[in-house]
Amino acid sequence: MRKSALVGWTLLAPSLLLLGGLVAYPILYNFWLSLFAKHAFLPAQTFVGLGNYRYFATDEEFWRSVRYGTIYAGSTIVFQLGLGVAAALLLNETFRGHGLLRGVVLFPYTIPTVVAVILWKWLLNDSYGLVDYVLVATGATRTPPAWLGKDYIMWSLIVTSVWQFFPFVVVTYLARLQTIPPELYEAATVDGAGAWRRFRHVTLPQTGAVLFVIVLLRGIWMFTKFDTVWLMAGEGGVSQYVRTLPVYAYERTFTYLQAGMGAALAVLMFGLLAGATAVYFGLFRDEEIVS
Amino acid sequence: MSRPRRGLWRATALYAGGAVLALWGAFPFLWMLSTSVKQSSEVFASPPTLVPRHLTLGNFARLLTETNFATYFGNSLTVSFATVVLTLGVSAVGAYGLTRFRFPGRETVAGLILLTYMFAPIMIIIPFYILVKRLGLVNTHLALVLSYTTFCLPFCLWLLRAFFQSVPLELEEAALVDGAHRGRAVWHVVLPLALPGIIAAGIFTFILAWNDFLFALVLISSDELKTLPVGVNDLFNATIVDWGMIMAAGVMITLPTVGFFAGVQRYLIRGWGSGGLKG
Repeated sequence: MRKSALVGWTLLAPSLLLLGGLVAYPILYNFWLSLFAKHAFLPAQTFVGLGNYRYFATDEEFWRSVRYGTIYAGSTIVFQLGLGVAAALLLNETFRGHGLLRGVVLFPYTIPTVVAVILWKWLLNDSYGLVDYVLVATGATRTPPAWLGKDYIMWSLIVTSVWQFFPFVVVTYLARLQTIPPELYEAATVDGAGAWRRFRHVTLPQTGAVLFVIVLLRGIWMFTKFDTVWLMAGEGGVSQYVRTLPVYAYERTFTYLQAGMGAALAVLMFGLLAGATAVYFGLFRDEEIVS
Repeated sequence: MSRPRRGLWRATALYAGGAVLALWGAFPFLWMLSTSVKQSSEVFASPPTLVPRHLTLGNFARLLTETNFATYFGNSLTVSFATVVLTLGVSAVGAYGLTRFRFPGRETVAGLILLTYMFAPIMIIIPFYILVKRLGLVNTHLALVLSYTTFCLPFCLWLLRAFFQSVPLELEEAALVDGAHRGRAVWHVVLPLALPGIIAAGIFTFILAWNDFLFALVLISSDELKTLPVGVNDLFNATIVDWGMIMAAGVMITLPTVGFFAGVQRYLIRGWGSGGLKG
């Protein structure tokens, strides 16, 4: 028995060492660091207590980044969910080529973010972009807007992100759809339910729990998304119109070299997420259990 | 409405929906592929052509001879494969420890490991950078391999644990009774049965390492050590964009992942069910 415990811990040791040293320790160190004024590259640091947090309480840039982050996360989740659920319902039907289509749909999720972003910048290019060409050729507009300019950059970012991440919703939702017992649909059809009522009264209740998890995970991941946002808008120019909290934390640290400030922003990000998650559980947990 | 007509409506709706979905999912990639094999005059042609009039590999040739792309590609391969080997080794050993040995606190440890999965890299990148700097590992591939391994570990541990649990203990014991020592029993009995899980974990790890941007951006500064995502972004920002060449770069970064996915899709769907890719 005791030997068994010893072997167990020994086998786990490499994993625990890596996770403890490179995740748990940085998390704790980050809280500590947020209480200091510290240069990102130089060792010197001064204790400032809650000074960094007091600064952000009245920092317009911080509140703007929270607002942009909420808009970005909120709208990308709504579109990913709508598109993803519709695509999963479609792929759950049998028709010729649906296996191939499933692979095609998965594709955007597997490519590096840098490729997705450059690809959409090419499609949305204001001189040679295909999107503008189609809009003009079909007569939808004669002067297409600058998609990557300050007025539309948020929309372009949202479209790119939805394209890149909706496959997660498709695959996760589809996996659950395939485990719904066919008898439930048969019974509903016998009762005279049409397609909409079968969806409303069979599919939705059955998939409530998985939708709950999908929204939770995607919410966390979109709110902490760094690379897509940063690559889409860069550091200068239009970046100020999509500077979400992760990007702001990065810039505070590695552009302004204020590591303590950056650490405080990371803590605030964590706090906001924890708060939002608690509210989310309070609002929807019961319904999830009922379904 | 009569039955056959309803069937026709249904088929039409399915195929129309399928066509829209295929267009949305695949068209941007086809457009990238098309641009990558066009001559520069045709890249900017109006009206644009989907199927290039003159095929050329000039964009790929320029990419490989006039830029550091080949170096970035080699770096990405090195880092990704090293990450896969290290992650599979560490997580297979750890997951085996979690499944086959009873000890107090085992479930708590498993839960804590899963909890670390909830932390997005951006939330710890600052202390992480300072730590790596203190260890003297800034600007090394080792730093990248360790970061990716750490971030893949929780998922791989849980995935492999589920697969090990599905291997009946009796099979392993039978091998032990037959005189094999534990190592041989694991190697010949447990690992082959858990192979789909190991493959899924390997692919997830490879793709995370191959695609990562944030760690590579923060931890690597010299050009000759950069991996593909950062290197290609530099190429993109360097001068007036050479769209044909950048699209060629996009095609080349994408090919390994597409190949992997096409080859092992069925393993992936299984892995997805038990946790999924993060991103």
